[in-house]
Order: sequence, then structure tokens, then C-alpha cells
Amino acid sequence: MIPPSAPPPQTTKLRALDLAVAAGLTALLLLAVVNIFLNMSAAGIAPGYGFLVQEAGFDVSESLIPYQPDDTYGRVILTGLVNTIFLAGVCLVLSTAIGVAVGLTSVGPSPLGRVLALGYVELFRNLPKLLVLLVLYVVAVNGLPHVRQAVSLGPVFLSNRSVNFPVPELDATALIPMAVLCAGLLFCVLRSRSRWRKGIVADWKERCLQFAVVLGLPVLCIPVFAVHVGVSVPELKGFDFKGGGRISLQFAIIALTLGLYHGAQIAEVVRGGLQAIPAGQTEAARALGLKRWQVIRLVILPQVVRIVIPPMNNQYVNLIKNTSIAIAVGYSDLMSVTGTIINQTFKPFEMMLITMGLYLGLCTFLTTVLNRFHRRLTERETR
Amino acid sequence: MKNLLISTAFLVGAFAAAPALAGDVLDDILSKDQLICLVNPNSPGFSVPDSEGIYQGFNTDFCRMAAAAILGDAGKADIRGIGFSDSMKTLVADGAHMASRSITATGTRDADPGLAFVATTFYDGQGFMVPKSLGVTSAADLNGATVCAEDGSTTLLNIADWFGDRGIEYRVENIADKTARLEAFFSGKCDVYASDVTALLSDRLLSEKPEAYTILPEVISAEPLTLVTQPDQALEAAVFWAFQVMINADQFGVTSKNVDSIVADLENQPKAVRRLFAEDSATAEMADKLGLPKDWAYRVIAQVGSYSEVFERHLGKETPFGIELKETANALTRDGGQMYAYPIR
Repeated sequence: MIPPSAPPPQTTKLRALDLAVAAGLTALLLLAVVNIFLNMSAAGIAPGYGFLVQEAGFDVSESLIPYQPDDTYGRVILTGLVNTIFLAGVCLVLSTAIGVAVGLTSVGPSPLGRVLALGYVELFRNLPKLLVLLVLYVVAVNGLPHVRQAVSLGPVFLSNRSVNFPVPELDATALIPMAVLCAGLLFCVLRSRSRWRKGIVADWKERCLQFAVVLGLPVLCIPVFAVHVGVSVPELKGFDFKGGGRISLQFAIIALTLGLYHGAQIAEVVRGGLQAIPAGQTEAARALGLKRWQVIRLVILPQVVRIVIPPMNNQYVNLIKNTSIAIAVGYSDLMSVTGTIINQTFKPFEMMLITMGLYLGLCTFLTTVLNRFHRRLTERETR
Repeated sequence: MKNLLISTAFLVGAFAAAPALAGDVLDDILSKDQLICLVNPNSPGFSVPDSEGIYQGFNTDFCRMAAAAILGDAGKADIRGIGFSDSMKTLVADGAHMASRSITATGTRDADPGLAFVATTFYDGQGFMVPKSLGVTSAADLNGATVCAEDGSTTLLNIADWFGDRGIEYRVENIADKTARLEAFFSGKCDVYASDVTALLSDRLLSEKPEAYTILPEVISAEPLTLVTQPDQALEAAVFWAFQVMINADQFGVTSKNVDSIVADLENQPKAVRRLFAEDSATAEMADKLGLPKDWAYRVIAQVGSYSEVFERHLGKETPFGIELKETANALTRDGGQMYAYPIR
């Protein structure tokens, strides 16, 4: 077999052409910046970021950090950013779970499963995501009951506004069992690692010990330190539920839309990765007596992960950027607060730079982490 | 954003041309025998070109009103569609005589020497719409309610101010997509829909049961949409009093349809009506002083109509907007509105 021709070796030596291109690009960039500033000063607009400490004066649909309309613009940008990160995180997990499950099904033994997986992938990767979002939203607000007729599943209530559920009500005394829990987890992880290095296989006694340390000790703390344990249950009062936890309908719908949309694309990435593994690997693993699930878990998936990380990286970055469709159905993400701030302060240039910088930073952070992970995996393979 | 655009426009315009002297602009209109009036190029109900490219709408009719009063012929209004900030620049730079395009009169805008706010043709403001089934009669009862509003709009600021000042808790749903926003309100995901009252009135029609929704009495922001002219005392007076003739016509039941028979039978009319149309009337004296056609008041009513006629023609019950004049602030004061008939005497 003739090996494929390798790309030319990478060097760090600059050539005349490189320098000319770099100089040209720098000149263009400078021209653009100077032009923008000249035009802005001609229109009487002074660029600046002083507005960030002014009062925002508008509310957001939901926020994970405390926020009031009389907080600053800087604070509302942070609120939008946190909302975007949270939404992206949930979508990332959801789309990966859907993608892996569908990807496995699409090459699985069941013909019905293969057809369903194919249908799902073709449907969701060929529809515009904004359309999917609006359809799901309109169907959900009309299909689900009004808040006064909310469906109750025990203490959990479902309406066309939100899912309301009980949450534990904790005060400062709850920090004690939490600290004990963290310490217990740390202890177990370190212990397992050192035992694993020594080649000791965990038996049931060891598992019981670790379980007791992780769960038993914190529970024991509750009566010992008289920890206050309460539950906040949602209750219909006035216009809406009070108390308990709440997931807004729009959040659930956006997460579902992006989960399904990117799930379809991730399924294709996973299918590609699975099909890149030679059939001989499965046959060899089966010949060694591994069960079907063990073959997948121990032989196939570790290799697939290496193959799919670069295309997944692409998917995840797209997913982060696609969370900006949330603005259509009223989830106060980064794009939503940016738009409102621009309308109020008329600082489009500054706000767009901030928003671009934040998305860029977020995506670059994720790609860097995934690339590092990928490098470690490939290094382990070549070792 | 509108605020900033207009102030920027003023700034640019301020350097472009010095303000005109009193009387000059009216003289210019008379010498050209044409009144250049700027409108929004695409604002259904207020100013849109018809199939022949001629602008039609509520705002357009006030351009025609001014032409009828000053030049005696509504057809002599040269109506031009132009964007918001460009129209301000054009006006300040002497490229047009007036603008009729839903501009909110504000203090800082009027303080600028380049423009004059003359007569408020439409009182708008931000209000709340709720389903009648909610049993709410005042916005003060909305503690804990969910409010739907357009994302990015100044509506969000007005709501935050209003609820914040009163210490009323609420949750906002700032939805950018109009379909999603209306579906959210009609399905009960939101308890309240906040927008300009005129928008509430027309959006209500998009529901399957418009009669199931009501607009609360509180109007939390003032948006007086006002005619703007180049500064010129004579022109401002002519436009202001032409508008007052249209309001007075409503007060005394004069319309474009009955104005001829009323003028033919002037002796049997109330004194206020005689003062509008008689040959030795107050309007005739004004015509002498301002240089208008002697029968300018008659021409305004005959060619354009009374205020309520113009309103009904473009925005009223028979139009797709279906706005009931008497439900808005644009009704006469005797009907609970803010249109106040100044004495013409």
C-alpha cells in the first residue's frame, strides 16, 4: 500500500509573500478602523464604553444571577451571557445524547430503528431551525393548558408558561453536609486513582465503603449539626405559581429545538465515526468473548471519540451561536439584551464589538478544551 | 433609537442651514404654488402609495389640509415619502415645508431652532391589553402578572419604570417574533400584552375573539404625534388653525358631505358655525392677516373633511385597522378624548 502524500512540512520562517499579505491585511484593518472613527465623529457620535455603568432600566425574562432593572448595562450583559452559557450547556448535553443514541441506532441491527433514525436525521437537518422553533413554540403554547388549569404530576405542575417543581429550601447550615459531601467525593476519587495505579480491582467491599463515605457521612451531618431541611413547593397564587423551581416554556422549547436540530447533525457525525472503524475490530472483540454492549463501550466508542472530536467541535461551536435564535420566543440571552441596549443607547459599534468578543471568547474556549482533549487522546494512541 | 436619530439629524441639520425668518416659508409656498410635505414612505393607514403611486393615509391628509388652507387646493400638496432621519434633515435644510409623519413631540426636539412642532394630530401612548376573563379593571391589579412585549423596544423601559415606581412585581416576556408574541398572549402564556394603544387595537383584531380582550384605562407613556413645519410664525398659524377648523367641524357636526348645504343655509346655523364660514367671519379676518384664500376654512372641510372623517377614512371601523375613534384619546374632549376645539373668533 502506498502511503498518502504528506502535506508540506510546517515551518516558522516567513517569506516575502507572507509579509506582503500580512502588511496588506493590516493596512485594510487600519483603514476600516480609521474610517469608522472618522464617520462616527462626523456624525457627532463619540465612541466609548462609559454607558456600561449606567442604569439599564429594562427587565429580562429570566436570570440565573440576581438582576433588577436599576442595575447597570454591564450587569445586564453579564445576565444575558450567563443565560446564553446555561442554554448552550443544556443544548450541548441534550443534542449529544440524542445524536449518540440516533447515531448508534442508524448503524444498529434493527431495520425499523435504522429507518426511524434516517427519517429523523433527514427531517431535522433539512428544516430551518427558526421555523422548527416557532412551530414547536406555537404548538406548545396552544397545546398545553393555561396556568390555572396546569396539569399536576404530584408536586410538579405543567402549563403553557412553565414547568414548576419543588426544590429543597436550604440555609447557611446546609453548607456543612455539602462540604462533607465534596470532601468525601475527593477522598474516593484520590483513593480509587492510587488503587488503580497499584492495579487493585475494586470489589464490592470497596464500593460499599466509598458509597458510605460519599452519602452516609453527609446524611449523618443533618441530625448532628441540626441542619435546616425544608422543601419549597410551587403554589398557584394570583396570576402564577409562587415558590419552587421553574423552567420556562420558552427555555424548554429552545433547548428541545436545538437539541433536535443539532442532534440530527451529531447523529451523522457519530455514524461517520462508527463506520470508519473497520468491521474486523468488532469481530475480533466478539471473538474474545465480549458482549455487544461491551464491544461498543470498550472497543468501538473510545476509537469513535477520537475520530468525531474535530467535527463535533464544529457542531458545538455552531450550537453556541445558534442559541441566539432564542430572541424570537422571548428568552433573554446575550443577543436579546444586546439588541435592547443598542436601541436605548445607540452604541451599535461598541455593543457589537462586546457581543462579538463574548461569543468569540466562548467558542474559542470550548474549541481549545476539545482540541486539548483530542490531542491527549491521540498522544495516548501513539504512545 | 428614534430619539437619538432625530437628535443626530437635528445636529447635522443645524449646520446645514440657518433657520428661516418668519413669513419666508409661507411666502415660498405661495410663490411656488406648491407645498412640499414629507411623509413616511410605508406606513399602512398613515401613508402608503396607492396603485397609482399617490400617497394615501391619515398623515397624508394633513399635508392636503395645509395645501387646501394655504393654496386653496388640496391637490397642490407635493407629498414625498422619505425615511425618518432624512426627512428631518431635508426639512431643516429647506428641502421641504412641512412633515406629517407620526413624530412624537418632545421637549428637547422642540427646543431645537430648526423645526417647529405645530399641532398634535394623533394622541398615542403605551397601554395594556388583558383578556376580559381575567377580571382585571386596572393595571394596578397586575401584581405578579406576566407581561408580553416586543423585544428591544422602548416598551420594555416604560414597563420597568411603571411597575418599578409602584413596587408591582411582574415577569416580562420580551418576544421578538410577532407571531410568537401574539400566540403567547392569546393562549394565556402571558396575562397582559403591552404596546402602543393603536397597536393593541389593531393586534386585537388578529385574535379569533377580539371581543374577549379589553384595554386597561392606564396609558403609561405619552406619544403625541405632531405636525412639524419649518419655523415660520405665519405658516405655523395657518397649519395650526387649519387643523382647528377640522376639530371645530366635528364639534359642530360639519363634514365634507354637508358643508355645502350648511354654507348655503348659513343664517340658520349656530353662531360658531357662522364664524367658521361666513364672508365677514373670523376665518376671513385670519385669511387677510396670514395671506390665505378668503374661504380657506370651507376649502379644508370640502376637500379634506373634518378630523373624524379623516380618522374614519383611514383607521376607522370600516378599515382593516378597525379603530373606534371614541375609544382613543383622539376623540373630542366632550367624548372623553383630548381633541379640544379652540375658539375660532
